[in-house]
Amino acid sequence: MSSSNSSLSANATAITPHLENLLKSGELSVPMLPEVAGRVVGLSQDPDSDASQLSQLIQGDQSLAGHVMRIANSAAYSPNGSMVSLQQAITRLGMNLISDIALAASISTKMFDAPGFEDHVSHTWQHALTTALWSKEIARVCRRNVEATFLCGLLHSIGRPVVLQAIIEISRDKGLPLSHEDALALEDSYQREVGASVAEKWDMPKIVCEAIRFFDDYENAPIARDQTCMVNGGAQFARHMLMPEALDLETLIRLPVLADLNLYQDEVSRLLEMKEAIASTREAMSA
Amino acid sequence: MTTNNENSAGGSTPREFDLIVIGSGPSGQKAAVQAAKAKKTVALVERDRVLGGACVHRGTIPSKTLRENALRVRHMRQNAELSNFVLAEDIEMATLIDRLDDVLAAHDAYMQRQIERNGIERVHGRASFVDNEHLSIEKVRGEPEILKAKKIIIATGSLPRTPDNIPVDHEHIFDSDSILSMLYLPRSLTVLGGGVIASEYASIFQALGVKVTMIDRYPRPLGFLDADLTDKFVHNFESSGGTWMGNKNVTRVEWDGLTYVITECDDGTVVKSEKLLCAAGRLANVNDLKIENAGLTLNERGLIPVNDELCTDVSNIYASGDVIGPPSLASASMEQGRRASCNALGITVGDMNQLIPSGIYGIPELSSVGLNEQQAKEKYGDIIVGKALFEEIARGQISGLQDGMLKLVCDGEGRKVLGVMVVGEGATELVHIGQMALLANADVDIFVESIFNFPTFAEAYRVAALAVIGQRSAASNAF
Repeated sequence: MSSSNSSLSANATAITPHLENLLKSGELSVPMLPEVAGRVVGLSQDPDSDASQLSQLIQGDQSLAGHVMRIANSAAYSPNGSMVSLQQAITRLGMNLISDIALAASISTKMFDAPGFEDHVSHTWQHALTTALWSKEIARVCRRNVEATFLCGLLHSIGRPVVLQAIIEISRDKGLPLSHEDALALEDSYQREVGASVAEKWDMPKIVCEAIRFFDDYENAPIARDQTCMVNGGAQFARHMLMPEALDLETLIRLPVLADLNLYQDEVSRLLEMKEAIASTREAMSA
Repeated sequence: MTTNNENSAGGSTPREFDLIVIGSGPSGQKAAVQAAKAKKTVALVERDRVLGGACVHRGTIPSKTLRENALRVRHMRQNAELSNFVLAEDIEMATLIDRLDDVLAAHDAYMQRQIERNGIERVHGRASFVDNEHLSIEKVRGEPEILKAKKIIIATGSLPRTPDNIPVDHEHIFDSDSILSMLYLPRSLTVLGGGVIASEYASIFQALGVKVTMIDRYPRPLGFLDADLTDKFVHNFESSGGTWMGNKNVTRVEWDGLTYVITECDDGTVVKSEKLLCAAGRLANVNDLKIENAGLTLNERGLIPVNDELCTDVSNIYASGDVIGPPSLASASMEQGRRASCNALGITVGDMNQLIPSGIYGIPELSSVGLNEQQAKEKYGDIIVGKALFEEIARGQISGLQDGMLKLVCDGEGRKVLGVMVVGEGATELVHIGQMALLANADVDIFVESIFNFPTFAEAYRVAALAVIGQRSAASNAF
């Protein structure tokens, strides 16, 4: 965390203790995109809707996926609370129950309300899904668990919307206006810690918690080094795909994380050939 | 991970060794150590970050660890009333192979120490032949380098074979290299195949409470084993809830996009399961080697052909382990690696004993050495067979492990032991007693005249031998 970040404005610096208090008290919540919640409600009321449509919607949205996993893993549905993937939750509980859970989450969860940050929020969501899809493909190449890696990728940045929503609300409540840059700097500084904290509070699978907390330090992840490394790699592929000007191909293929994944050049090339397929899957899942 | 003295020669003078071994599985490791002990300079090239190959990281050791825990779970279930035990419904695979990390770490540390102690140069990279004496090593970090050696041993192991109609995605449809990446136990599993890997995983997952269906084109699994053994295996598998479907050809496998993998057979049978394992054999792992640059070709079975000295068609290149085909057992591969190394370096070794036991770590365990009943009949005509059921053995009754059998196959005179087969707990250990008798060319009487600890399963040898001797006596009294 960077409460000592000297580049922050006075207002941003004043907001940090409030944010840290919320973090300590566990009162941070994961907001949901209103349009996603609306689609869940719509699908659950549409007798002609296909179960796979809702399944795709859940798997394509980090906030909805997180809430569904949280509820599916709760004592009410899974006394052992050990589900490690959305696919497992769907298979175990059945689509009818998952549909009810998604509906409940959509109705009861705080909606995202961040005027002026629409593009940034959209990018965060897109990046999370794209990371999940790339992580999944990397897991296939590495012969690691594909389902769980997808979930880890999807939730790796779950802290971002939480922090952004919280600081906007603090800013509003305390009368401490924030610049766009300050808000993004705070989000960047706190998102990892907040994401891990939320995942742990929600009793998410340990590998998900570690993929968030150790994202930048995967070699030290106690049990999920490989999963975290794959998510980090997936995030780089996603960044290159969504913002090639920020991460060009030459830089991508020389990143240490690809060597840490033991990916040889031809394997990286084969992964890159999946760019179009991943783009179309992402579009289908976020349509 | 690279060693400190690993350097990149790029296009300059290649680093030269007396021997280069490609692959660090059981075979490659033994080959490298043997050469190092002969005071040769050795490079061991491994494409993975860790040593040990598929045997250590994806196959033998992980699956046996899972098996041990499956047995524990089965014992706990059997004793559920005593301990008021109920297995958690959604048990995580990670919990079931909880000791695996410790086992692998210990194995890795042991191998590292052995490699270092023997002065073997460990090269992390992917080898391909430039010619019969030069290898290009592609690396995940840094520039490629060229290595040179007068002698090269290929010990790159094998890869799962994937039939064209099985869309293995490592997510819903697995192969034997990815099945243990599952993080939770599925409720149902279809296993395609009836070989060793298929039978082991099918029986292990069934013992863990997964509803397993085995499908194969042959009438019975493990067709190379004695029919009495496979009957016991199928009976055990089915009585614990599994389903064996023989004589079926799979035409299509498909993930339905939501819940099930659908398997369709040519007779109209449709099987739905949460996950599927395709265990349709293994192929030589030579994809990246560019063996043609060294003048090598694969045989019609996709394997590297070798002679009795494990030398390939190119005189300075040897091969050992799964890459040359059956028996494809870690035990045999280790000895092949050692021998390939000796032969390559001109070190005299005796003939390799062809009496290799096979061990199937299913539930129950199965093991066999020598000729089975059918093979013995074909070779010798009249034979005498003696059997001992574990339910007749005191140790079996005491430990509650009564579902087993030991079978001795002897010549027509009921003296010479031709083969030993065991099914049941401890089979893979128990068979070695019979193997020693076979190696010593001993009469079956040795099992009666020798005193074993009591109560042990070794008593089964005595019971089976007495059955043979009884038939022998009956035959002689008939005249």
